Amino acid sequence: MIPGGQSLVSSPPVFSHDGKKLLVCTGCTVSIFSTSTGMKITELEGGHTDRVTSVVVVPVAAPSSKFISYCWTSSIDGTICYWDFSVPELIKKVKVQLPIHSMVIPNISCTPIGSSEKTSNHYAFISVEDPTISADENKAFRGQIQIYNLTKSRRVRGLLAETRKPELLSVSKNGEFLGITNKRKLDIWKIPSNDFRIEEIKKIKLHHTKKLTALAFHPKLRMVAGGDVTGRILMWIGFGRRKFSGDSQATNKKKNLTDEEKPGVRNNDDADSCSTWHWHPSEIKFLSFSSDGAYLYSGGKEGVIVVWQIDTGKKKFKPRLGSPLLYFTESPDPSLSCVTCADNHIHLLKMPTMEITKSIAGIKLPFSYPVGHKGLCTQVAYDETAGLIAVLTEDYCVQFFSLFDNHEVSQVQVCKRNFQPVDDVTLYVALVSVSLDGSLMGTVDVKIPEDGLGGLVSLKFWMRGSRIAEYSLSTVIYEPHSDAEISSLAFRPGHCMAVTSSFGGDFKIWIHNLGIKLNDQLHQKTGWRCQSVGSYKGRPMTAAAFSADGSVLAIAAESVVTLWDPDSNVLVAVIGDTHSPITSLSFIGNSEYLVSLTGGSTPQLAVLTTSKLRLSWSYKLVAEALSSSRDTSQFSVLVLLNSQCGIEKENGVILLFDVEDPVPVATWMVKKAKGGSLAFVPANPSFDEIKAMDGEKPSLLVYVNGDHEYIIFDPHNMDNRIGKSSRTSQIALEEAGMFGYASIYGDLSNLNPKQDQVPEITFAPSERPWETIFNGSSHALPPLTKLCSTFLASLIEKKPSMNE
Amino acid sequence: MADESKPFFPVESAHHVKPPPLRRAQSLTPESRFWRSFRHSELASGLILPVTSLEFSPVAPYHVAAACSAAVHLFDGAASPSLAPLPHSPLSGFSDVAYSPSFRCDGALLAAGGESGLVQVFRVDKAGPPLRRLRAHARPVRVVRYPRVADKIHLFSGGDDALLAYWDVPSEAQVVSFPGAHRDYIRAGSASPTSPEVFATGSYDHTVKLWDVRVPPGSNLLLGFSHGDPVESVLFLPSGGLLATAGGNVVKIWDIISGGKLTHTIESHNKTVTALCLGRIKNESPSDDGGEPRLLSVSIDGYMKSFDFATFKITHSMRYPAQLLSVGFSPSGNARVVGTSDGVIYMGMKKTKKQEEANGTNAASELDGFIPEPEKQVLRPTNYRYFHRGKSEKPQDTDYVIPRAAKVKLAEHDKLLKKFWHKEALVVALSKKSASSVVAVMEELVARKKLLKCVANLDVDELRLLLRFLHKNATSPRHARFLMSLTKKVLEMRADDIQSNNNLRIYVRNLKRMIAEEIQIQRSLQEIQGMISPLLVIAGR
Repeated sequence: MIPGGQSLVSSPPVFSHDGKKLLVCTGCTVSIFSTSTGMKITELEGGHTDRVTSVVVVPVAAPSSKFISYCWTSSIDGTICYWDFSVPELIKKVKVQLPIHSMVIPNISCTPIGSSEKTSNHYAFISVEDPTISADENKAFRGQIQIYNLTKSRRVRGLLAETRKPELLSVSKNGEFLGITNKRKLDIWKIPSNDFRIEEIKKIKLHHTKKLTALAFHPKLRMVAGGDVTGRILMWIGFGRRKFSGDSQATNKKKNLTDEEKPGVRNNDDADSCSTWHWHPSEIKFLSFSSDGAYLYSGGKEGVIVVWQIDTGKKKFKPRLGSPLLYFTESPDPSLSCVTCADNHIHLLKMPTMEITKSIAGIKLPFSYPVGHKGLCTQVAYDETAGLIAVLTEDYCVQFFSLFDNHEVSQVQVCKRNFQPVDDVTLYVALVSVSLDGSLMGTVDVKIPEDGLGGLVSLKFWMRGSRIAEYSLSTVIYEPHSDAEISSLAFRPGHCMAVTSSFGGDFKIWIHNLGIKLNDQLHQKTGWRCQSVGSYKGRPMTAAAFSADGSVLAIAAESVVTLWDPDSNVLVAVIGDTHSPITSLSFIGNSEYLVSLTGGSTPQLAVLTTSKLRLSWSYKLVAEALSSSRDTSQFSVLVLLNSQCGIEKENGVILLFDVEDPVPVATWMVKKAKGGSLAFVPANPSFDEIKAMDGEKPSLLVYVNGDHEYIIFDPHNMDNRIGKSSRTSQIALEEAGMFGYASIYGDLSNLNPKQDQVPEITFAPSERPWETIFNGSSHALPPLTKLCSTFLASLIEKKPSMNE
Repeated sequence: MADESKPFFPVESAHHVKPPPLRRAQSLTPESRFWRSFRHSELASGLILPVTSLEFSPVAPYHVAAACSAAVHLFDGAASPSLAPLPHSPLSGFSDVAYSPSFRCDGALLAAGGESGLVQVFRVDKAGPPLRRLRAHARPVRVVRYPRVADKIHLFSGGDDALLAYWDVPSEAQVVSFPGAHRDYIRAGSASPTSPEVFATGSYDHTVKLWDVRVPPGSNLLLGFSHGDPVESVLFLPSGGLLATAGGNVVKIWDIISGGKLTHTIESHNKTVTALCLGRIKNESPSDDGGEPRLLSVSIDGYMKSFDFATFKITHSMRYPAQLLSVGFSPSGNARVVGTSDGVIYMGMKKTKKQEEANGTNAASELDGFIPEPEKQVLRPTNYRYFHRGKSEKPQDTDYVIPRAAKVKLAEHDKLLKKFWHKEALVVALSKKSASSVVAVMEELVARKKLLKCVANLDVDELRLLLRFLHKNATSPRHARFLMSLTKKVLEMRADDIQSNNNLRIYVRNLKRMIAEEIQIQRSLQEIQGMISPLLVIAGR
């Protein structure tokens, strides 16, 4: 069982203390990536059973302890774990019982490992969710902020705060302040240095008129920045002078100040001044101060990192990251930072120039189709031979993702248009299909008309280049079925032929002609053209499939299945009659059977035989996806569980059927089945163990859920022992990176005064001249043809000397 | 490391069809680069009468002999930068028109025929009366040839009296003669490059004959075959196994070893091919073999063509402003001459590079095993060029060149779209008058759902621009579907403005007229379709 496709962006990533590793929460594990290669090094697994929500790296003080690397992680399953992530090894586990949504350990930097001080207790501030209070209650406080003594593994009594829902905690760099965004205000606490009692912790509130979404503390000054839903950034300078300074005398002094001007500060808040910056058109997702405190980074939905110079308010931009931004993380190395995008990408940035040096790419997340979209909702296709999944993305690309290696292989830009995350969808890639051998790809992209104006459907055929998943555009066909939308696209196995079926009531068969090479010139007329058009009683064509040998084309004409000869375009037979339109069709292996899925009000899963031209058996099931094995007579169906109760809507069942028998061979329960898909893939050749186990049934089943997380398992082997161990060999070795001085000026040359004194070896005459003639480094040596005469001459000279 | 963030895509119309690539001048092949490296000039222009024959001496310094009127002109092959007449040129021992000069294989003697039927032998290096006079022909002698290898005492001649004679020059006696060798004028001949006793003749009776003088009399004729046209020129190719013949407007290549089999026919000239000669093209890299051989042919049509007989392909062709009668190519490979019917000799001299000369001086010192380093001024920080050093460095062959990413050139409307200034972008595109870019901007605006808002915001002047654009382009088939519906929308939305403004009303009137015309066109097209479709049905049966 191989899981994969986890989200990299569920929580902010964290750099290790030397900046060479990046710890990313991936589902219930933490993956560690190398920042120099962008490849995964290792994974912290086995500690958590649910989504990991935050990681805190323990800083080190002395250079002697440079190689010690520890971190704390918190998870939804209610545990906090302590890891040595260089090994990686779980050291300690603390049970909190409540789902933790965020955790910070403010005073962790005060007592770094390796310092000679006696280590004091570690206190973690955790934001937990109280599941006993149901979400239906309007005014319920589900979120709590608690303090936990990690050293003694027990909770500090009392609650720091209660919120409507668990909030993300932020802490200043020196661990002095802790803050959350709470509706239209910021709640800020001053954290005491040693005495952790709830009553002692002081709190101030900073008010604003809009809902605040992000906050950041200045690393040095008493300054806090908050971002709101409208895109404004507020900077409170000198907050909490009154309350946090402690003694009453100072409070009195400050009281005088309150009467004076406090520009921009609302509600007599405890701050000296407040200024507002506005560039972002929409909600601010992150705010982050640079480590020297001179700049503020902000970002949001529009996918642009804005760098504000704090003193002047001047802006610099890093545009075209292609996706809404979520988090920005600075590393201890000032020339490196990373930004997390909503499309499951983490970009490592080279700092002053903000150039992307490496991208850590996860599988792209599903996007929502616009309202008018009629076709299938599967946004994936499979290149089964190469073990790749092709995922449609929001930014008009097709991403090829290696299922077995769990990393991105390539991206193909389908539409040449600049993607703007703020737009509502007007242009989208609706369909992708990859031929069986992966050499051809077809995509359909749809442009939605504005008030009936300027809509466009275009069909594109791509040819694979020299490498796997590298496609180049071969032919563009605008409006292949005039303005009707295309319902499906299928390639004929073993031929350069494709079929598109449309809701407009016809299907077209496209063939690829190589054209004639006209006397050595580059004038080549190759491309795809329409070979034939067919229709059946003017009904909308809703699905299309070729049989495994490519001899029969099955087209679903709304409620009946029509069988065609693809070469001569002759209607061969008509099978079945369902009540609702068929959504999906598939031939089962080399057998004579055909499976159809029907949606709508009377859902049905039907198996039809092509030899007897009748229904073989059927079920009344809401099926989401269908996949048939190519070499056996089995197929699997992803069924949505009956969605009456509403809560279980996301859950589903995978049923594996043998075509002869209506009783399923195997059943698996899965989550998030809506929008999921299934595929049989041949076992990757690197799975040597499996081939040894059972040689005849190597095909594995892939289940991709609605969030594009997937799992690969062997449907015939119930104990599911697909070893992960065989995959770990692909871990990239870490490059030896350069640091500090060396990273800027390169290595110092090794000055060795002794070296200069060594005299160069010159040609010294000796008894045996051939030894010295050919002595020397090869680049300085004259060519042999020139040396030849000298050499011969030396031999001649030798004779008389011997005679003497 | 490359920045992997996405590039900026300029807007592009969906139906934007790229114009077919312009026929770019084909990049020069090494061959044509070689032929272009000759500097052209006129060698002699005042000769008035046709230059019937040109011949290079086979030995250095490769003098040239040109037969024209009653003289044979000699040019010095050693003269630089171009050929120059020798001091004793022209040789004038002719009573009538001179024909067919031929150098002996050591280049010391020159034989030439003439209208009078007399074959005369001259010294090349000195002026003076002819050394020998060979009398046998009663009619003009057009072919006189010395053997090409190692035979200094014989030559053969053929005349308009169809007599072919093989001479012993010192004794002025015929060794063999073939009266009636052909049934018409003998106008072409070539000695074999491999054996001194074999030669080929071509005649106006369309035949080419191959002779050997070693065998007993009576069986001298080795081979005869018909070219198909009066033969103007015959040439052995360097191997001696192939023979090229020219006659009419074709050049044919024969395999004489296999008994005169036709191997190839070149039909690249439009008029009669008058002369053939051998050339060698030298590559840039100096090699010992002197380059690949080429067959040069000239014709009355004014073209000189270079033919690669290894691959049977025409590799180069050159045009001259006159009818060409003769051609010669220097064995040194750096000169070629072409003679015309109006007495002009065109010359092409290879441009010699100074570098090569410099190489020549270096070559000597290289033999000593010591290469003098050219002295170079050392750049110091006081020098201005010091700060520019290395800027114009060219990559070497072994270097891996990383191309700089091509900068995207942004049009004005792209820049405005980037700033989300939608209406301004549309107006700028409209004022630029490029239909495809206007449509591209409009399509981009549709994708942003901003087109109708833009149309609503246009002021009167800008609306006039839009209406004018629609009037011009709405019926163009590529964009018609989009633009027609847009026109309708625009008229609906801005009806009030249009009614209140006289200028705009004119545009609407134009639009109306355009639509009427379009309907007319569609109707007539439908009529044509109606006429054609029954015909097609009948044809299909």
